[in-house]
Amino acid sequence: MSGPILEITGVSKRFGGFVALDGIELAVAAGERVGLIGPNGSGKSTLVNCVCGTLANETGSVRFDGQAVDGLTTHERTRRGMARTFQLPRPFATLTIADNLRVPLLYTVNARSGSALAPTALDARCAELLQLVGLADKAAKLPRDLTQVEMRKLELARAMAAEPKLLIADESMAGLSQSEVDDIVALLIRLNERGVTIILIEHIMRAVMKFSQRLVVLVSGKKIADGSPDAVIRDAEVEKAYLGQ
Amino acid sequence: MRTRVFLLIAIAAAAVVFAAARAVSNDYVFFAGYTVLQFIVLATAWNILGGYTGYVNFGSAAFFALGAYSTVFLHKTYPLPIPVLIVIGGAVSGVVGLGMGYLTLRLRGAFFAIATLALAVVLQTLVVNWDYVGGSRGAYIIRPNEIALIGPYIQYLFLLMLALAVVALATARGIERSQLGYGFATIRDDELAAEASGVPTLRLKLVATTLSGALMGMAGAPFPYYIGYLQPSSAFGLEYAVNSIAMPMIGGTTSWIGPLIGAILLGTLQQVATVTISSAVNLLIVGLLLVDFVIIAPNGIVGLVKDRQAAFTTMAQPPVFSLLYILNLLPMYFLTGQGQAAQSIDVVFWAILLFVAYTRGGLIGRPWLVVFPAAGALLGVAPVSSTTPVIGTLAAATSLDVTAVVLAAITVIQLIGLVCGLAPKPRLAEAPAA
Repeated sequence: MSGPILEITGVSKRFGGFVALDGIELAVAAGERVGLIGPNGSGKSTLVNCVCGTLANETGSVRFDGQAVDGLTTHERTRRGMARTFQLPRPFATLTIADNLRVPLLYTVNARSGSALAPTALDARCAELLQLVGLADKAAKLPRDLTQVEMRKLELARAMAAEPKLLIADESMAGLSQSEVDDIVALLIRLNERGVTIILIEHIMRAVMKFSQRLVVLVSGKKIADGSPDAVIRDAEVEKAYLGQ
Repeated sequence: MRTRVFLLIAIAAAAVVFAAARAVSNDYVFFAGYTVLQFIVLATAWNILGGYTGYVNFGSAAFFALGAYSTVFLHKTYPLPIPVLIVIGGAVSGVVGLGMGYLTLRLRGAFFAIATLALAVVLQTLVVNWDYVGGSRGAYIIRPNEIALIGPYIQYLFLLMLALAVVALATARGIERSQLGYGFATIRDDELAAEASGVPTLRLKLVATTLSGALMGMAGAPFPYYIGYLQPSSAFGLEYAVNSIAMPMIGGTTSWIGPLIGAILLGTLQQVATVTISSAVNLLIVGLLLVDFVIIAPNGIVGLVKDRQAAFTTMAQPPVFSLLYILNLLPMYFLTGQGQAAQSIDVVFWAILLFVAYTRGGLIGRPWLVVFPAAGALLGVAPVSSTTPVIGTLAAATSLDVTAVVLAAITVIQLIGLVCGLAPKPRLAEAPAA
C-alpha cells in the first residue's frame, strides 16, 4: 500500500469537438483526503465517470490499487473497491431504503469476500449504515418519501455499503444546510480515519477547506493547481479562473 | 427453504385444479383451461424481463412460436414425448433469447421494444419460407386420442401446462426473493447506479432474456399438439404479444402474483367471450381493460390493493372520471342480448364502474354516487329487468322490445350518475383534496 491508490495518467475525453478532459495527471495516495474543485463544466464529473468506468477515456490510463483498470466495467471497478455517489441522487426507486443498501452488500461485499453474509448479518449491516447517516427510522420507506437531503445521505450510505477503498463523493452536499454540511464532512472524515481514501467534489468552499488535505483544481478540462488547500486558493491562476471575478 | 414450501403449495393447488377440472367431466374445460394456463406461463415469463428487469418485450409471440415450431420440426424428424419437447423448445427459445439479449440489450426503452418486434417479424418470415415445417401452409400434427393413465389427450396436455405454470410461478417467486431479484430491480430502476453498486447489469439482463425466452418457448412447445394444425399466423399471433404484456400490466408487474391474477382474469374473460360472442371481441375487452388499468391502477391490481390513494388522486380530475365512466359503459351495448355468459363479462365492467363511482363519490363528498352503477348493474345483469312490471309496461307502451327499454333505462340512469359526478357544488371547494 505504499504506492498511490489511484493513479490517473494523461486521461483525455472529448464529446464531439468539445474537449472535456485534457491530459489529466493525478495521483492520490492511500488514506488521503482530496478535494476536487472547478467551475461548472470544468470536467469534474467527467473525470469521475472516466475513473469509475461509466465513460471510456480516449487516451491515458487509470490505475487503481496498483493495477490498470482501463477496459473494466463499472461493476468490476466497484468490486475492486471504488465507490461513488452521483451528483444527482440516483436511488433505486422501487426498493426500500434498507434494500437500496442491500444491493451493494449483496453484489459487491459478498462477491468480493467470496463468502456470503448471512441474511441476519445483512440486515444488521443495513441498519448500521442507516444509523450512521441518520436514516434509521426510514429503513422501510421508499426513496420517494425522502427529502433531497435524505436522498443525498442515502446516496452516501449506498456508496459506503460497498466497503470501498476509495470513495468519490460527487457534490453530495449541494442544497444542504450548514449544520448538515458539517455532519456530512464529519462523517466523511470519520470514514477516512477508518482508512478509506476520499475524493470530494464540492462547490461549498467551507466544506472543501475543512475536509481536504490536498486540493486539486480543474478548469476547462485541465488541471491548473494541485497542492495544499491554503496555497491553492491563493494561487493567482486559480483565483482568476475560478474564484476571482 | 420458503421456496420449497411455496412449490409444495403450488403443486397442491395445481392438483386441486386438475381434480376440479376432471370433476366437471367436460373436455371443453380442459381446452379452455389449457389456454388460460398457457397465458399464465407466458405472462409470468414476460414479467421476468418486462416487470422485474424493466425491458419491454413486444416479441413474446416469436419465442412462443419458436417453441411450437421446434416441436413441429422434431415431430417430422424424430418424434419425442412432449415433456422432452418442452425442454427442447425451452432450450431453443432460451438460446435465441440469449442471442437477442446480447445483440439488443445495449438499446434502451422504446428501441429495445422495437428490436424485439423486429425479431418476431424476422422469425415469422423465416418460418413462412421454410417448407419443411409447413411454410405458410402450416403443418398438421395428428395427436393421439388417448394416453395411458390419464385418458383423453387434452387432459394430458392440460396437466403438462399446469406443471409448467407451477414451474414458471415458482421460478418467478424464487427470483423475486433472491439476490437475482434485487439485481433485476436495480436494472429496472437505474442501470448506472446499479453498475456503481457492483451489479453486473449486462450479465443479469442476459439471464433475464434467456429465462424469459426459455419459459415462453416451453409454453409454446405443446401448442401444436393442442391446436392440431399450426400455421405461422396462429403461432405468431398478435394475441400472444398483446396478452403477455397486458396480463402482467393488469395484475401488477412487481410480483409473481400479478401476472397470475392478470392471466386468470383476462384469460378467463377471453375464453368466455370467444365462446359466447366471437374471438374478435377478445382484443376489444383487453383493450378496454388496459385503458382502465393504465389510468386507475398503473401498478396493476396488486399495486391498487397496496396503495389505493393513487386511484383516488387520478379520479380527482373530471375528464378522467368521465372518460372512465363512459368507456366502461360501452361494453354493455354489445354484450346485452348475447346470452347469460356474455353478461358475466359485463359484470367486470360494472364492477369497475362501481369502483370509479365509489372513489369519485368519496372524493367529492357524494358517497351516494355508487347507487347509479349499482342500479345499472342490477338492471343490466341481474334477471330482474325483464320481470319488473315497470319495464314490461314501458316496453308494451313504446312497442319496443324489453332489452332496448332496459338499455335506455340504464343509459338514462348512468347519464344522471355521470352528471352528478361532475356537477360542481359549493362544498366541493372546501372538500379535502385527498
